[in-house]
Amino acid sequence: MPRYGIAIDTTKCIGCQACRVACQNQNNLPVTEEFNRIVERERGTYPAFGKEFVPLQCNHCENAPCQRVCPTGATYTTEEGVVLVNPKTCVGCKYCVQACPYRMRVMDHAKGIVEKCRLCVELVRDGGTPACVSTCPTQVRIFGDLDDPKSEISRFIAEHRAQPLRPDLNTKPKIFYKRS
Amino acid sequence: MQQRGITRRNFLIGSTAGTASLVAASYLNFGAWAAKDHTSGEVKVTPTLCDACGNWCAINVYTRGGRIWKAEGNPLAGNNRGRMCAKGHGFLHEPYNPDRIKSPLKRVGPNKFEPIPWEQAYKEIAEKIKDISAKHGPQSLFWLTHPQANIDLNRRFLTALGSPNLFSHGSTCFMPRNIGWWLTVGSSKPSMDFENARMIVLVGRNPAAGLDLGQLREMAKGRDRGAKIVVIDPRYSEAAAIAHQWIRIRPGTDLAFVLALANVLISEDLYQKEFVEKYTEGFDELSEEVKKYTPEWAETKTDVPKETIVTLARELAVAAPRVVLHRGYHGAMGTQYKNSLQLVRGVGCLCGLLGNFNQLGGMYFSPKPKLGKLDKSAHPSPPRVDGPMVDGSGDPDRYPLVPRGQGMTQAIPELAIKGVLRAGFVYHSNPLRTVPNPARVIEGYRKLELLVGFDYVLSETACLCHYILPESFYLERDDVLHTNQSVKTKQVSVRQPVIKPLYDTKPLVQILVELAKHLDIGDYFNFTLDDWNRALLAPLNVSLEQLKKDGVVDLGGEWKPGEPKFNTPSGKLELASSIMKEHGLPAVPAWEDPLVMPDPKDPHSFRMIHGKQAYHTHTRTCNQPYLMRITSINDSARVWIHPSRAKALGLKDGECMTISSPVGKGRARCRITEGIHPDCIFVPSPYGMYSKHFQYAKKNGGQGGFGYGISYNDFLPTYFDPVLGHIMSNEIVVRVEKTYT
Amino acid sequence: MLESAWGWYIIAYLFLAGAGAGAFISAVACDLLAPDWSKSLARAGSLASGPLVAIGTACLVLDLEAGLWEPWRQIYLVANSSSMITWGVVILSGFIPIAFVYAAALNEITIVGKIAKKYLIYLEIVGAVLAVATAGYTGVLIAVVNGVPFWNTPLMPVLFMASAMSTGLAVAMIGAAIIDISTIRTLSNFALGHVIFLAVEGLVLGLLIFMSLTKSVEAADSAKMLISGALSPYFWILVVIVGLLVPFVMSIVEYHEYGEMPKILVVGADLLVLIGGMSLRAVIIFSGTPPHIV
Ligand SMILES: Nc1nc2c(c(=O)[nH]1)N[C@H]1C(S)=C(S)[C@@H](COP(=O)(O)OP(=O)(O)OC[C@H]3O[C@@H](n4cnc5c(=O)[nH]c(N)nc54)[C@H](O)[C@@H]3O)O[C@H]1N2
Ligand SMILES: Nc1nc2c(c(=O)[nH]1)N[C@H]1C(S)=C(S)[C@@H](COP(=O)(O)OP(=O)(O)OC[C@H]3O[C@@H](n4cnc5c(=O)[nH]c(N)nc54)[C@H](O)[C@@H]3O)O[C@H]1N2
Ligand code: SF4
Ligand code: SF4
Ligand code: SF4
Ligand code: SF4
Ligand code: SF4
Ligand SMILES: [Mo]
Repeated sequence: MPRYGIAIDTTKCIGCQACRVACQNQNNLPVTEEFNRIVERERGTYPAFGKEFVPLQCNHCENAPCQRVCPTGATYTTEEGVVLVNPKTCVGCKYCVQACPYRMRVMDHAKGIVEKCRLCVELVRDGGTPACVSTCPTQVRIFGDLDDPKSEISRFIAEHRAQPLRPDLNTKPKIFYKRS
Repeated sequence: MQQRGITRRNFLIGSTAGTASLVAASYLNFGAWAAKDHTSGEVKVTPTLCDACGNWCAINVYTRGGRIWKAEGNPLAGNNRGRMCAKGHGFLHEPYNPDRIKSPLKRVGPNKFEPIPWEQAYKEIAEKIKDISAKHGPQSLFWLTHPQANIDLNRRFLTALGSPNLFSHGSTCFMPRNIGWWLTVGSSKPSMDFENARMIVLVGRNPAAGLDLGQLREMAKGRDRGAKIVVIDPRYSEAAAIAHQWIRIRPGTDLAFVLALANVLISEDLYQKEFVEKYTEGFDELSEEVKKYTPEWAETKTDVPKETIVTLARELAVAAPRVVLHRGYHGAMGTQYKNSLQLVRGVGCLCGLLGNFNQLGGMYFSPKPKLGKLDKSAHPSPPRVDGPMVDGSGDPDRYPLVPRGQGMTQAIPELAIKGVLRAGFVYHSNPLRTVPNPARVIEGYRKLELLVGFDYVLSETACLCHYILPESFYLERDDVLHTNQSVKTKQVSVRQPVIKPLYDTKPLVQILVELAKHLDIGDYFNFTLDDWNRALLAPLNVSLEQLKKDGVVDLGGEWKPGEPKFNTPSGKLELASSIMKEHGLPAVPAWEDPLVMPDPKDPHSFRMIHGKQAYHTHTRTCNQPYLMRITSINDSARVWIHPSRAKALGLKDGECMTISSPVGKGRARCRITEGIHPDCIFVPSPYGMYSKHFQYAKKNGGQGGFGYGISYNDFLPTYFDPVLGHIMSNEIVVRVEKTYT
Repeated sequence: MLESAWGWYIIAYLFLAGAGAGAFISAVACDLLAPDWSKSLARAGSLASGPLVAIGTACLVLDLEAGLWEPWRQIYLVANSSSMITWGVVILSGFIPIAFVYAAALNEITIVGKIAKKYLIYLEIVGAVLAVATAGYTGVLIAVVNGVPFWNTPLMPVLFMASAMSTGLAVAMIGAAIIDISTIRTLSNFALGHVIFLAVEGLVLGLLIFMSLTKSVEAADSAKMLISGALSPYFWILVVIVGLLVPFVMSIVEYHEYGEMPKILVVGADLLVLIGGMSLRAVIIFSGTPPHIV
C-alpha cells in the first residue's frame, strides 16, 4: 500500500488560485466552500522586501486530532493514509473543526456535515493526480508515494529537507513544504 | 437498527431534546435534501478551447449527466501545456448564469429589452444598415471585434458591406508592443525560449497575473534549471514572488533603464560582436545615441541605483546569448506610456546587442502552420476595400504605423459624436467598460443610429445596443480553428460544443450567414463553419474529424536554433529602424519623457498604474461567483499604496481613499504595502462593472458585479498617442485623499 | 474565515450542564450535611438539576446539523471511545435520569419517588459522582482540543468545575428562596459556599490567563483578547466584576450579616453569579484562536 502525500514548493507559487477552483469543481463544492486556501505573506522592507504565497490544504495527519475527537468515527484514515469523512455517519458536531490545528475542515451547512480535502482519492485510485496538482501552472505541488524512496516526492523532500507545517504540534502531516 | 437508534435517542437525550430535534428535523431536513448536488450520471469528455480569456487554452471538459462538471488542460497544447487557470475553471459555471441573454433582444427603452425572433432582428438590422449606408456611405459603418480566430469572418462581413473600419481592442492593449517588435525584428510577437535561458528579464510584464500558462510552465522549468529571473516593475508583482530579483522602477521610466543597459553593454564592450556585425543594422547610430544615457543619468530618471543597472548589464552579458527579454504585452511595453514604443524598440535593440535571436535560451519566431483559404470559385470573396480607416489608421498623413483592422477603439465614440460613424457592430467586446473616459464613450455610443451587439450577458455595452444577437457561449459553440497553440511546434486547434446551447443562441458564423442574406451579401457567405474550417485545414492534411477528436493536432516542425532571419526591410535586426526614419521618427531608441509626472512636492499627487489579477479577465469576470469569492476573501480589490505616502495622508491599512482626476472621481479602500513604488498607486484592473444587470455574484457568495471596486478607465482622459494613437493608460496623475465620513 | 465553529448553543450547554450538575451536588451536600439548615435548598437543587442538564444537552443536540435533521445518526455518537463527546454522551445518559429520579425521591413526587426514596443514599452517591463527571467533563471537552492552545490546559476542567459549583449553588439558593422564603435566614450560611467557590474560580482564572500569556503566542493572543482586546469589556465587566468580585463581596456580607440584610440581596448575589458563569463560558469559547501555521 502506498502512503500518499504532497510536497509544496512555495518559492514557485504565484497565488493564481487555479488550484482552489480546480478543487472546488473536482469536488462539486459550492462557491463559499474551499478545501484549498492560498495565504499571502509579505516580509521585510524595500529593498529587502519579499512575498510568499503559501497553499494550504488538509495535511492528512498520521496522528490526526480531528480523527481522535470525532465521536461518531465518521473521520477515518484509509490504508493509503488519506484522512476522510464519512458523509453518512457525520452528525455535524464540529468538534473536529475545532480540533484541527490547521483549520482545514469546512462545515457544509447544506448537507449538515463536515468536509475537507480528500486528496482526490477517486482520481488517484484510477492512477490520476489530484486536481490541484495537475492544474498548477508552475508545478508547485508534487504528489506521490512517501514510502517509495525513489518517487519524485520522496527525492524532493530529501533534497530540500522539506518540512511539514508546525511539526511541533506532533500531528505528523503528510504535506511537506519547501519555503526557501 | 433504526429502531434501536430511536429508543436510544430518547434514552440519552430525554424527551426535551427528542421533541426539539424532531420538530426541527421536520422542516430542516428539507433544506438538506434540497441542496443535494447531482453528482451522478454518465461522464463524457470533450476537447475544446477555453474562452474565459483571450489565450484560448486547449482544455478537456468533463460533463456528468449532461451538465458541465470540470476541466483539465490539454497536455499537448503549446500555449497551456496541460495547465488551466482559475478563470478557466470558474467560467465552467457561467453557462448556468441565470442572467444570460436567452434570445435576440431589441432595446425598447433605456435599459429595457424585449425578446424578438431572429428573423425580425435580421430584417430590422438589415433595413437600418442599408439605409444608413445609402445616406452616409459604407465608411460610416464600423465593426469592433475581439482579435481572435473569428476576426476573419468579421472582416469578410464588413468588407462585404464596403467599410474599412474594422477595430480591435489593440489601442487599449498591445499596440506599441506589436509595432515596436515588427519595426525591429519584422514580427510583432517573437517567442521566448524560457526553458533553456540562463536569465529571464520581465520589463513591465507579469505573466503570473496577466496569465500565459505556457510561458509560466516554461519559466518554472527554466527556473528549476537555474535560470535567474529578474522582474522590473514599480510593483512587487506575482511574477516577482517567484523571481530572484525585483527592481522597483519609477513608473514610466523603463526606457531610461533600458538605454542605460545598452550604454553599459557598449561602453564596457560586453555586447555580442559577431551577432551585431552579421545580423544587425545601425550599430554605430545606436552607440552614438546611447553614449549620453549613462547609469548615473538613468538613476536620476528611474530611481534605480546605478550599481544595479551596471551589475544587471554585466550579468546579461555573461548569460548571453541565453537571455530572454520578455516581449511584453499590456504593461510598460503595451499601451501605457507615451514612450512605450521607444521602450519596445529599446528592448529589441538589447536583444540585438545580446545576440539572443534564434539562439538556444533566447528569442525566436514560432513555426506556424500555413492555413488554406476558401476556394474563390465556389465561394467568391467580397471586393477589397482600400484606403485608410476613418480614424486615420493606415493613413500616410495621420497614423501610418497603425494597422488597418486594429485602429484606435477610443476613436469610435469621438467619431460618432462628430457624425462620421453612424452604425456599428460590437463583437465579444465591451468598450463601454474597457475604454478610457466612460462618460465620453457613453455619449459617443449613444449617438449611433444603430448599434448591434454580440454578447452573452447584458454588459455595459450591450445595455446601449439597439439589438443584441446572443452568440452561443464558448462551451456551446464551434469557432474558426486557429494556430495560437503553435509555440515550439506547429499546432492547430479548434473549439467545439461541450453541451447543446441552453437557450435560443447561435454561433457567430451562423448569425453572419443568416444576416448576410438580408443584406444582399449572401453570396459571400454561402458556406458553413465546417466548410470554412476544412478549407483552412486543407494544406495540412489533417481532417476536421481528427481535429475535433483531439482538440489539438501537433504538426511537428519544431523550432531549432540557428541562423536568425528577420522579416525587416534590411533583413536584419534593425537597431536603427528604416521605417521609423521614413516617417521622420527617431531611427534609434532615444529618451522621451513620459507625458505627465506626479508632483514630488504634493503628498496627494500619484501616478495611477494598474494590472491584471490571475483570477479575473479584464472586467468581465467580476460577476462570476467562484472568481469573485477569491477577491472577497482576499480583500484584493483594494488599491495599493506605499506606507510612507499613506502615512503622510493619515491612511491606515484598509481605510477608504478618495481618488480624483480631471475626468473622474472614485472611492477605494487602500492596501498599504512595501511592494510598490512611492510615486504611484496600483489599481487592480478587473473591477468597476457598472451594468445594473450584474447582480449574480451578489446573490451568490456575497460581493461583486455591479458597483464593486473602481476602474482605472474612470480616471483617464481620452488620449491618442502621437505615433500609434493608443490610450497611454498610465499617463495620468491623480489626487488621493483620505476619505472622511 | 476562522470564526469559531461553535456558538451560543455550545456555550449554553457548557453553562447549563455545569449549573445543573452543581445544583445536584449542592442538593446532596445540603441533604446530607446540613438538612436542618434548609430543606428547601436541597429540594430546589434536586428539582433544578435534571431539567437544566437535559435542556443543556438539548442545546448540544440542536447544535448538530445532519445529526439533528436525521436524528438516527445520533446512535453513532458513542462510536469512538477516544472522543470526549462519546464520553459525554455516556455520562449524560447516566446522570440525567438519575437526577430526575433523585428529584422525585427527595420531593416524594409520584409513586416512583416514593419507591426511590428508599434508595435515596445510593442515588445521592452515584448521582454525585456522575454530577462531578458532568461538570468536569464540560471543561475536559474543550481542554483536549489541541486546535485551540488557549483551551488546551488541565486548568480548564478545574475552572469549569469551580464555576459549575458556584452557579449550581446559585440556582439552588434562588430556588430555595422561591420555595420557602422563611428559611432565608439559615440560607445565608450557604453564602460561605459562594465565598469559597468564587475565590477558587477567581484564582484559577487568574492563573489560566497568566499561564496563557507565557505559554504560546496563540494562547497569549486569546488571553490578550480577554484582558485588553476585543472581548475585554465583557471579560472585565461581566465575568470579573459582575460575576466574581461583586457576588464575592456580597456573599461575605451576606454570611456575616446572617440574614439581617434585605432579602433581595440574598438572591441578588446568586443572579450575578449566574450571569458571570454564562459570560465566562462565552468569552472562553469566542477567544479560542488556532495555532499560527504559516
Ligand atoms: N477596466 C479595464 N479596462 C481594460 C482592461 C482591464 O483589465 N480593465 N484591459 C485592457 C486590455 S489588455 C484589453 S485586451 C481590453 C479587452 O477589452 P475587450 O476587448 O472589451 O474584452 P473584454 O473586456 O474581455 O470584454 C469581452 C466582452 O465579451 C463578452 N463575452 C464573453 N464571452 C463571450 C462570448 O462567448 N461571445 C460573445 N459574443 N461575447 C462574449 C463579455 O461579456 C464582455 O462583455 O481591455 C482593456 N481595458
Ligand atoms: N488573468 C488574466 N490573464 C490575462 C488577461 C486577463 O484579463 N486576466 N488578459 C490577457 C491580455 S489581453 C493581456 S494584454 C495580458 C496583460 O498582461 P501584462 O502585460 O502582464 O498586463 P498588466 O498586468 O496590465 O501589466 C503588467 C505589469 O506592468 C506593471 N507596470 C505598470 N506600469 C509600469 C511601468 O511603468 N514600468 C514597469 N516596468 N512595469 C509597469 C504593472 O505593475 C503590472 O505588474 O494578460 C493576458 N492574460
Ligand atoms: S495553482 Fe499553483 S501557483 Fe497557483 S496558487 Fe495554486 S499552487 Fe500556487
Ligand atoms: S490537517 Fe486537520 S483535518 Fe487534516 S488530518 Fe490534520 S487535523 Fe485532520
Ligand atoms: S463533525 Fe462529523 S466528522 Fe467532525 S467530529 Fe463531528 S461527527 Fe466527526
Ligand atoms: S488534493 Fe484534491 S481535494 Fe485536496 S485540495 Fe487538492 S484538489 Fe482539493
Ligand atoms: S488562461 Fe485561463 S482563462 Fe485564459 S484561456 Fe487559458 S484557461 Fe482559459
Ligand atoms: Mo490585452
